[in-house]
Amino acid sequence: MAKTYQNPNIIKRLRADYFSNRTDTTLTLIFGACAAWALWNLISWGLLNAVWSAEDRDLCAHGSGGACWAVIDARWRLIMFGLYPYEEQWRSGIACVVMVLIVGLSCVPWFWNAKRISALWLTGFGIFYVLMRGGYFGLTPVFEQNWGGLSLTLFIFATVSLIGMPMAIVFALLRRSELPWISNTMGVIIDTIRSLPLLSIMFTFAIVLPFVLPSWMIGDKLYRVIFGYALFFACYQAEILRGGMQALPAGQEEAAKALGMSYWHRIGYIVLPQAFRNALPPTINQFVITFKETSLVVIIGFFEILASGNAAFGNSEWNFAHVEVYAFVALIYFVFVFALSRYGAYLERRMAVAER
Amino acid sequence: MTPQNHAVRIAEMDKYYGTFHALKNINLEIAKGEKIVICGPSGSGKSTLIRCINKLEDYHAGSINVLGTELDDNLDNIDEIRRETGMVFQHFNLFPHMTILENCTLAPMLVRKQSQIEAEQTALEFLTKVKIPEQADKYPGQLSGGQQQRVAIARALCMQPEIMLFDEPTSALDPEMISEVLDVMVSLADEGMTMVCVTHEMGFARQVADRVVFMADGEIVEEAAPDAFFDAPQQARTQAFLSQILGH
Repeated sequence: MAKTYQNPNIIKRLRADYFSNRTDTTLTLIFGACAAWALWNLISWGLLNAVWSAEDRDLCAHGSGGACWAVIDARWRLIMFGLYPYEEQWRSGIACVVMVLIVGLSCVPWFWNAKRISALWLTGFGIFYVLMRGGYFGLTPVFEQNWGGLSLTLFIFATVSLIGMPMAIVFALLRRSELPWISNTMGVIIDTIRSLPLLSIMFTFAIVLPFVLPSWMIGDKLYRVIFGYALFFACYQAEILRGGMQALPAGQEEAAKALGMSYWHRIGYIVLPQAFRNALPPTINQFVITFKETSLVVIIGFFEILASGNAAFGNSEWNFAHVEVYAFVALIYFVFVFALSRYGAYLERRMAVAER
Repeated sequence: MTPQNHAVRIAEMDKYYGTFHALKNINLEIAKGEKIVICGPSGSGKSTLIRCINKLEDYHAGSINVLGTELDDNLDNIDEIRRETGMVFQHFNLFPHMTILENCTLAPMLVRKQSQIEAEQTALEFLTKVKIPEQADKYPGQLSGGQQQRVAIARALCMQPEIMLFDEPTSALDPEMISEVLDVMVSLADEGMTMVCVTHEMGFARQVADRVVFMADGEIVEEAAPDAFFDAPQQARTQAFLSQILGH
């Protein structure tokens, strides 16, 4: 009988990986103990001794030795919806779900053509806007100034990506124009905006721009900030895309030219798909950063989810419970960012098929 | 447009790279159905010359006329000429993010406005001709060099061009794969395709070419029918080149 390879059993593997000699064993025991201690503390604080119900607030305040999740129970609507009017918060909730749904659906390859993706986003954004803003179908109007919490965070993220990505593509294409005056001008614009802090760009668009723009162009502060943020996003993403394009061998465009394909066909079918694939890891990175930096809009007075969280413990009743609120908000950030990262990893696997 | 007997007519053409005079006063006329082999030492400008014919490279003086269309700065003319000339590259240049079939149907659908069904039919026809229809759903990275180059030929043929340009099609291949590509080129020649080939395959030149053009230092030094070219070269530079590549 031929010998076959057998997987070593678990005890053998554990011994080989963690207890192979005296140093190894010592280190395993020390770090194992530390890890177990940390984990035990976390569980006993976060689960075993935790206070869950808002009615037990007094128990928290006098110290139960555990986490006071009661604050979330009591204040979750403020954290999730910010200043949005209390009776109307169901609208903000549904709007959130809609936004998550369209972002989720646009990750499905079936939607990856111009018609389907634009139909999806137009409908999705339409529903989101009508729900949030109201004024139609008997919904009470709620102005942008009162939007807040998770739906505002998602709205800013989605809109910035949606406006910023096409802008980034245009910037990247202008940046590699064959006409030097175009590529150089674009280069100066990109470098200038990249050298400014995001905070100052948001501030400029929110506060300074109204003084220089004609009144019909001003719009709501929220949209000006989103536009400024999109511009900032586009400048970074344009450089990421340019890197992806530079990694393409010159032969790719030449082959497309030799087949008689026009400039836009070459860009749309040959250059951009491969540039995006080359630039996928930094692009996902850029999205993650963009999602997290939405929290900066607090400086011009918007209560996105982090600011709403601050407000949730910012009164005498709950002011001892900031750790719990931050942990909760961190969990929400984590869910979104982790999903983004996993999606990036899925895309890389999917594209690797065509790569070898 | 008056009827044309020539496929390509290059007259008094010059090209520079900066101050370097890359092509000097090139005059070359290629009849329809003619097969030309261009050879010469490396750096002699033969690839540059063939790449000027579909304007992958600019030229700076003289004129090029392809199938009655003047190759100038007019983008419509350039597109017209590129539609009618297929090109095969040294490094294949297949699109790695598309399957073999998609590589072959993309340009016919976008440029010739063929329907998907029509384009796929044509593609499978030509893939059968280059003897790899069974690879249609694979990606270029999953094929050998010889297979990739045959796909590249099929891709160019799917546009049903009048002229085929070959830019050192076998130079990047492992030796055992050269003949499978040359076989495809020979059968293409037998069908009467107008072909311009930059190649070092002298056996192919002797078997297929109507005319061999020898270039050195950016000039056409000698052109002759293959028998005359190989057996009785007139110019000293031709003799030196031939003795170098055939001498051992």
